[in-house]
Amino acid sequence: MTADAPYELPLAGVRALEVAEIWAGPYCGALLGDLGAQVIKVESLQRLARGPLNPRPGTAGYPDKEPGQRPWNRSANFNALNRNKLSITLDLASPEGLECFKDLVAVSDIVFSNYAFGVVDRLGIDYETLRRIKPDLLMVLMPGYGNTGPYKRYRSMGMTIDAVTGHSALRGYPDEDLSRLSLVHHADAVAGLTASFAICAALHYRARTGKGQFIDLSQAEAFMPHMGEIFLEYGLTGLLRERRGNRHPLMAPHGCYPSLGDDRWVTIAVRDEEEWQAFCQVLQMPDLVVDARFSTLAQRLENRDALDEIVAGWTSARDRYQAAQEMQARGIPAGPVLNCGADTYDDPHLQAREYFQEVNHPDAGTHLLSGPIWKLDGAPGPLHQPAPCLGQDNNYILGRVLGLSDEALNSLEEKSVIGTVPLEGADMGGVRRIQRAN
Amino acid sequence: MPFMALQGIRVLEIATGIAGPFCAKMLADYGAEVIKVEQPRRGDPSRHSGSLPQQEGNIEKSALFLHLNTNKKGVTLDLESSAGQDLFRGLVADSQILIESFTPGAMASMGLGFAALKLLRPDLVMTSVTPFGQTGPHKDYQFTELTIFAAGGAMYREGGPEREPLKYGGEMAQYYAGVAAASVTTAASFKAYMTGRGEWIDISIQECMAGHPHQSGRRAPFAYSGDQDIRTRPRSPGGEGRETYAVGTFRCKGGYVSFLPLGPRMWPNLTRMIDQPGLTEELRFSTPEDRGSNKDELEGIFQHWFDAHTSEEVLTAAQREGLPCGPVLTTDQVLTNEHFRDREFFVDIIHPDAGTLAYTGPPFRLSDVPRGEDRPAPRLGQHNGEVFSEILGMTDQELDQLRGQEVI
Repeated sequence: MTADAPYELPLAGVRALEVAEIWAGPYCGALLGDLGAQVIKVESLQRLARGPLNPRPGTAGYPDKEPGQRPWNRSANFNALNRNKLSITLDLASPEGLECFKDLVAVSDIVFSNYAFGVVDRLGIDYETLRRIKPDLLMVLMPGYGNTGPYKRYRSMGMTIDAVTGHSALRGYPDEDLSRLSLVHHADAVAGLTASFAICAALHYRARTGKGQFIDLSQAEAFMPHMGEIFLEYGLTGLLRERRGNRHPLMAPHGCYPSLGDDRWVTIAVRDEEEWQAFCQVLQMPDLVVDARFSTLAQRLENRDALDEIVAGWTSARDRYQAAQEMQARGIPAGPVLNCGADTYDDPHLQAREYFQEVNHPDAGTHLLSGPIWKLDGAPGPLHQPAPCLGQDNNYILGRVLGLSDEALNSLEEKSVIGTVPLEGADMGGVRRIQRAN
Repeated sequence: MPFMALQGIRVLEIATGIAGPFCAKMLADYGAEVIKVEQPRRGDPSRHSGSLPQQEGNIEKSALFLHLNTNKKGVTLDLESSAGQDLFRGLVADSQILIESFTPGAMASMGLGFAALKLLRPDLVMTSVTPFGQTGPHKDYQFTELTIFAAGGAMYREGGPEREPLKYGGEMAQYYAGVAAASVTTAASFKAYMTGRGEWIDISIQECMAGHPHQSGRRAPFAYSGDQDIRTRPRSPGGEGRETYAVGTFRCKGGYVSFLPLGPRMWPNLTRMIDQPGLTEELRFSTPEDRGSNKDELEGIFQHWFDAHTSEEVLTAAQREGLPCGPVLTTDQVLTNEHFRDREFFVDIIHPDAGTLAYTGPPFRLSDVPRGEDRPAPRLGQHNGEVFSEILGMTDQELDQLRGQEVI
């Protein structure tokens, strides 16, 4: 390729098959799609993983709370998580569906799934089977605890992985019992993101060696390196880190303070002595600098309840952006607490960076949705294809790519191997039950 | 033992904080040759920061630095001197990837912006990792984990509605952005290998968190139907999950468990777990709505059973019924957990100053690449001689001169 050839996204020309549900797997697929891969989401009419089949009118999360005739194409949550993909339906439990899947594997580079351990074996699409069809295939399986070990069959959700990896014990208000912890499913997201890195690394290796790969990703193990220094702290001192909430052992003030308005908050972190001096000036409280309770870091830490009260008094009278701006003008880290809805849309910085993309979905209408989490200098602009309608690419993928005749496609449709309307009962754990994904 | 999938790829890291160095750590832990560039004398600020900096005043014993820099080589270079900049250009010319975290515009002002560096090699992949990205009104804002986590949209939801929002434990936003950077950097490097074309990548930690599936997934209902994100307690009327009496973290005998049934079809499994299958016959619990109305009574029944069982017993009973459940483990318990031990996840690495410590292992395993030997984080300037002589062909005399001028 010459330098003036048209720009292509990094994974242009790579084809991936997604057999995944809920968060971790679909998020991995969206990231690969953002990077330019052709991601084919393999769904089925027998098992709907896009939400309920017949939600009541007025249900949140559908355009204007109206589920409409085809609610499976109108779920906000699903559509946000499945951008930049194609969708085909295949009943993998039928011989015809399985055959189509295998034919597709022969012309694909990657298969990834976040189904629970053992599901792909039962479906007959395990790595040993698929590598015979495509020797340099990359396949990622990412159950909660990985594909070996005593917990490998254990069911998990992001929240239970949060507990087992040690993160739950590190969060929450320090003055509250752990049973009050809110639900954090961060581990799901980390797993999906880490899987995208795993795939890119394995593609790089394949490009140089011709070798395919099986990738064993444990959601718990993908998450624990994000707490790596905490394990080393324990190793170095033998002491367990205490729960801190918003506090920091070496910074004060360091917290989340109320600002003008209902449930509005601003964070402030004063990192060192110089910033403390500047902080007192911003507050226009010269007495604070000479206040014996706050004259050293040790004293500020000791008296931080009193200090936090003073800070809150100042922030309460100010707009959160204004308070942050006054701190930042003196080089002090501060910023508003943004909710992920209205607040992020209104954030002047995200707006200036054109982070949100207008997406026109044929069944759900036009909305402003999240863009990719990286910006590529050469790219003409982020691509954001709307999430696919169920089975919308059956004809293209099975007809054009695999070369099935119209007659063959019609026959598959008659047997409900493919189609665009889920079968009755498909949302109740599946017409044929398979184990749920993480 | 690193999986050497990226063997043969040389990465230059001139990054501080967590996100940039963690991105480079992921590349190093999967076989890339990562050369970490630190400032002479003081080194990377993470040698002095984190909650446990400089044990006994030794900058080689910072837990954060030891963790973030496994399997890397370390050199020192004064980038403010023109001699240092020349050396840096020499290293760039011989590297496929550059990871940096300077304030936007700072590299360019030293003549080391992407436009200048890609003249040295057109297939260079340069990844800039900053809190707010390279453009926009907040690009020069100072940050800590607390403030950037708050800006990404996740914090607002955590904690109780009657109290202030909470950050997660640790430094989660920065680590998360580090993985995002590793992913797109490797994709761009793959493309550079295939086509000869490089890339400049702009990573904003704020955007990584704003695009986290739990933010983007919950943002869409706001866009579609105006549904606002709210802060709730588990097992509160507005809480997540349909069988809300059994959702969240529970006190049990001697500990806590995290518990998340999958929905109404698991109701019979829940009753079997607590040895009370007869509950399914009770009229007042027969539909999800009935169970919702009698939530407090049900929560009491479950809590009574949890109180009589250890987390290990709860785990076994729950998993027997196919119910997602996990014990709340503390750091020491994670290190000795039978599953992680069986998978040999934690690895012992020997460091000359810090001794032998258990480090978190590989986030995923590859079936068919060679394995390498794990190496500890480099001591300050440890690989100056090796890197500058092998890559730039410098003589001992030239190296001594640079040391004398405090360039390295």
